[in-house]
Amino acid sequence: MSKWFKELLLFKELLFALILREIKVRYKQTALGALWAIMQPLSLMLIFTIIFGFFLKVDSQGIPYPIFSYSALLPWTFFSTSISFGSLSIVNNSNLITKIYFPREVLPLASLGAAALDFFIACLIFIALFFIFRVPISVNILYVLPIGFLMFILTAATLLFLSALVVIWRDLKFVIPLFTQILMFATPVIYPIEKIPQNFKFVYKLNPLATLISDFRDVTVFSKSPDLKNLLLIGLIILIFFIVSYTLFKKIERRFADII
Amino acid sequence: MSGSIEFSKVRKTYSISRYKYKRLSEDFGQIIGRILTRKKRSLQKEKLEALKGVSFKIDPGESVGIIGKNGAGKSTILKLISKVTFPNSGSVAVDGKIGAFIELGAGLHPELSGRENIYLYGAILGMKRKEINEKFGDIVNFSELEKFLDTPIKRYSSGMYARLGFSVVAFMNPDILLIDEVLAVGDKGFQEKCLKKMKGFSRGSKTLVFVSHNLEAIKYICTRVMIMDKGRLKKMGKPKDVIKEYLDIYSQKSLE
Repeated sequence: MSKWFKELLLFKELLFALILREIKVRYKQTALGALWAIMQPLSLMLIFTIIFGFFLKVDSQGIPYPIFSYSALLPWTFFSTSISFGSLSIVNNSNLITKIYFPREVLPLASLGAAALDFFIACLIFIALFFIFRVPISVNILYVLPIGFLMFILTAATLLFLSALVVIWRDLKFVIPLFTQILMFATPVIYPIEKIPQNFKFVYKLNPLATLISDFRDVTVFSKSPDLKNLLLIGLIILIFFIVSYTLFKKIERRFADII
Repeated sequence: MSGSIEFSKVRKTYSISRYKYKRLSEDFGQIIGRILTRKKRSLQKEKLEALKGVSFKIDPGESVGIIGKNGAGKSTILKLISKVTFPNSGSVAVDGKIGAFIELGAGLHPELSGRENIYLYGAILGMKRKEINEKFGDIVNFSELEKFLDTPIKRYSSGMYARLGFSVVAFMNPDILLIDEVLAVGDKGFQEKCLKKMKGFSRGSKTLVFVSHNLEAIKYICTRVMIMDKGRLKKMGKPKDVIKEYLDIYSQKSLE
C-alpha cells in the first residue's frame, strides 16, 4: 500500500489539476456559481426546519432546529456530493482511462477534493448560525479535526469501492442514489440519535456515518466531548474498510481499460 | 537505458460479451446457476485475439512506424507500451517516461477555455505546472490560437482541437513519445508543422513510436517500420523495404 501512496504523490499535480477542473466545470454556466455549494445544505435546512422543526416538532434537544439540522447536513452533504460525483468518475472519464496511464484513484479523489472545498464554503453559514442563534462554543469543538479526518477517510473508502464496482456493473449507477437516500434516514440528520430505541442502538451505531455525524453535532452545537472508546472502534472499522476498498480498487484497476 | 521498449511473446485477448457492459442480474444468475448445477465457470465468452505472440525490441533513440490494416493490433501495442492495459501472457518492458498523443480530444474538456485546457492536458500528460508555465508561450505560438485562448473549446473546430492537443504534446519532454494517427485532422500547413516537430524529436535521443496510415509521413520520420497483420508482426525493417513490401501485398490483395 505504501507503493500506491508513493505513486499517488508523484501524480499530485494531476490530482490538483483535476480538482480544479471539477470545480470549474461544475459551476460553469450556472448563474449562482459557487453559491451552489452553500445553497444545497442551506435549502435542505430550510425545508427540514419547516417540516420537521415546525410541523412535526422533532425534538432538537434544546437547540434551535435550524442549527441542529445544519450541523448534520454539513458533513452529510460532503458525503453525498462526493458519492454522487465521484462514484461515476471512472466511467465518465473512459476516454482518459483507455488512452493515458496514471493511477486511476486520482479521479474519485478529485471529486472528493472538490466536495471538501464545498464543505469549507458551507462552513461559513455554520459559523454565521452560531452567532445568529447565540449558541455557545467550547474547547470540545477541536474534536471536529479527528472526526473530520475519519469522515474524509470513510468517504474516500466508499468512493474507491463504488467507483471501481460501477465499471463492472453499470446497474450500480441506479442503485447508488437510492442507497444514498436510504442512508440519510439511517443517519441522525433529521432527528437526534437519542431517539433510537436502546436495543437498536448497537446495530445503529455500527453505521460509521451515524456515529461520525452524531459526534460532529455533539462536539459543535452541544459542546459535548465524544465517546472516545466508540470513536476509536469506528476509526478501526473505517481503516479496515479503507484498506479493503483500496486493495479492491487496485485489483480491478488493471482491467479498467479493457472492460470500460 | 531509458527509452527502450521490449515485447516478448506478448498475447492480448479481449472478451466480447453479448452485452457491452455486464449486467448485475446476469452475473448473479450465472453464479447461482453454477452453485445449483455444481458446474465450473463456463467458458462460452467470445474472445478476440488482438495480439498473437508479438516480440520486438526498440532501442533508445529509434523512431519506429507501425502500419497495418484496421484491427491489426497497432493501437493495442501503444496501449500496452503506455501501461493502460496489460498482456495476457508474455512480457512488456518499457524504460523511461512516456508521452502519448493517442486520440483527438481525450483529456481536453469542452467547457474549459483553451488556456485552462493547456494546463489540464499538460497535467494529464504528466507535466509539472512550473514546466507548463515556462513553455506556455511556445505552446500558444505553435498552436496559433492566441486569439481563442479564453474561449471555451467547445466553440473550437475539430482542427483547432487537434492543434491545441498536439501543441501541448509537442512541448512535453518524454523519453518515449507515442503517436496514434492524429495528423488526419488539421490543415496541410499545420500537418507539415507537426511532422517537422516529430522529425526534430526523432533526430534527438528520444524514442518515437508512430502509428499511421500515411506512408509518406512514416517514410519521412521513421528509422524502422513494422507491419502488423491480424495480431502478428509480419515484418520489421528499413522503411523503404518494408513499405514497398506492404504496398506489394496490398496491391496483390486488391487485384485478387
